[in-house]
Amino acid sequence: MQGSGIHGDEFDRAAHLLRTAQFNKGDVLLETGSVCKDAFHVTKGLLRVATLDSDGNEHIVQFAPEGWFASDRGSMYFNEPSKLRIDAIEDSAVVLIGQDFFDALSSASEKFRSYNTTLLHNHIRHIQDRVALLLGARADERYQTFIRMYPDLLLRVPQKMIASYLGITPESLSRVRRELAERNFKGRAAKK
Amino acid sequence: MTTDTLKNTATNEPMTATDYRPIERVIAPPRAHMVGDGFRVHGFLPATVGMQRMSPFLVMDYNSKWDVPAGTTPRGVGVHPHRGFETVTIAYKGRVAHHDSSGGGGVIGEGDVQWMTAASGVLHKEYHEEEFSKSGGIFQMVQLWVNLPAKDKMSTPKYQAITHARMAQHALPDNGGSMEVIAGNYQGTQGPATTFTPVHLYNARLNKGGKAELEFPAHYNTALLVIEGSIRVNGTEQVPTDHFVLMGNAPGKILLEATEQAVVLVLSGEPINEPIAAYGPFVMNTEADIRQAIEDFNQGKFGYLED
Repeated sequence: MQGSGIHGDEFDRAAHLLRTAQFNKGDVLLETGSVCKDAFHVTKGLLRVATLDSDGNEHIVQFAPEGWFASDRGSMYFNEPSKLRIDAIEDSAVVLIGQDFFDALSSASEKFRSYNTTLLHNHIRHIQDRVALLLGARADERYQTFIRMYPDLLLRVPQKMIASYLGITPESLSRVRRELAERNFKGRAAKK
Repeated sequence: MTTDTLKNTATNEPMTATDYRPIERVIAPPRAHMVGDGFRVHGFLPATVGMQRMSPFLVMDYNSKWDVPAGTTPRGVGVHPHRGFETVTIAYKGRVAHHDSSGGGGVIGEGDVQWMTAASGVLHKEYHEEEFSKSGGIFQMVQLWVNLPAKDKMSTPKYQAITHARMAQHALPDNGGSMEVIAGNYQGTQGPATTFTPVHLYNARLNKGGKAELEFPAHYNTALLVIEGSIRVNGTEQVPTDHFVLMGNAPGKILLEATEQAVVLVLSGEPINEPIAAYGPFVMNTEADIRQAIEDFNQGKFGYLED
């Protein structure tokens, strides 16, 4: 619990509630309609959190690379069927954190409660920023925000998934990247 | 045959086991994995010995013979960047088409080598050439990543298209076959590729019973890959097809003998003794260089190439 200020012994008493798991690329960690029992903290690899529209098209809500959490909060906290699907898009090592872990540490530690509140506000900020961006930002602004948040994902994720996350078409993403290259490529004329 | 045809140059006595450059390891092909959907490769380097042990050779992906079914959409690897090194693609069977963000492109046919200096950065893509893709057939390639010294990592990208016809051929004695020199020098025969640091790269094309002697400075990292047939190394070690031989860094000659008709890729180079920071398609010297490479790639500084 780096940064949480939680004492080792407080954490140790709850640590037995944590589990680790390995997933292969393509494995589904949470299926829509099931209840999300765990939050997933990524040690290595990359998870995708997505929703399917009524036509069966996938929309990517979040990527979770190393150090990120992925879960369906509504399902996990309110015990509802999950609206989101979580799968591994790389071979991944994940820590599974159930509600029992949060409950155990929350009752034992004021510092953890405070830390968890900060994490929740951070998460809400992230979601608000994302809603604002999806409603009111141009494609190039969405792209710049994306590469600040996820610097190496362009190397790891197919373009069509990035376009899905940005809420733009793959053609728009290509246009944004082509225009950037036309401005920034000093070697030779950018080539189509 | 016997090995007494080789003489110790210092004593003029027949070679003995201690006169040969020692064999450090013979490595069977690691389990193949796909690169895109077009390359089914055994990752000999860096997986088996690490990134520095064979410096300046960082990566060796070996696509052993693979019978590719005919298809309508060419298989391959989509647009990806490189910075800080060179890619060397050696085509043994099948044909690959490639394009890059500097406007370069072409087809690497059987027996050809493409030496691409990515240096400061290119985007490129590699696919099975269209006609090959339509007909399908046997596909066999090697791709090497050759490191660049720090002073040359940000130099201008360039290509060397080395067709089979351009390669220097050095006839081996007793109708033993031919040493095809891609880069460096074999007994006075100079290969066409230019390199940033001393590198020797040959295809030993040996007839059954054919012999070849190799000698490199002891500190040059040196290895063999048996592409076709089988060989005996230093008179004793039998090495089958698709196996990699890591030579020790000690003085001495290497003796290759073909126990059947064989093709052997020979690589030897002066190590680049500089730190390596590698992330995906970037090989630099520091973590800061890597962050800069990612940022430059994200901001379009490698150019643009349609997928």
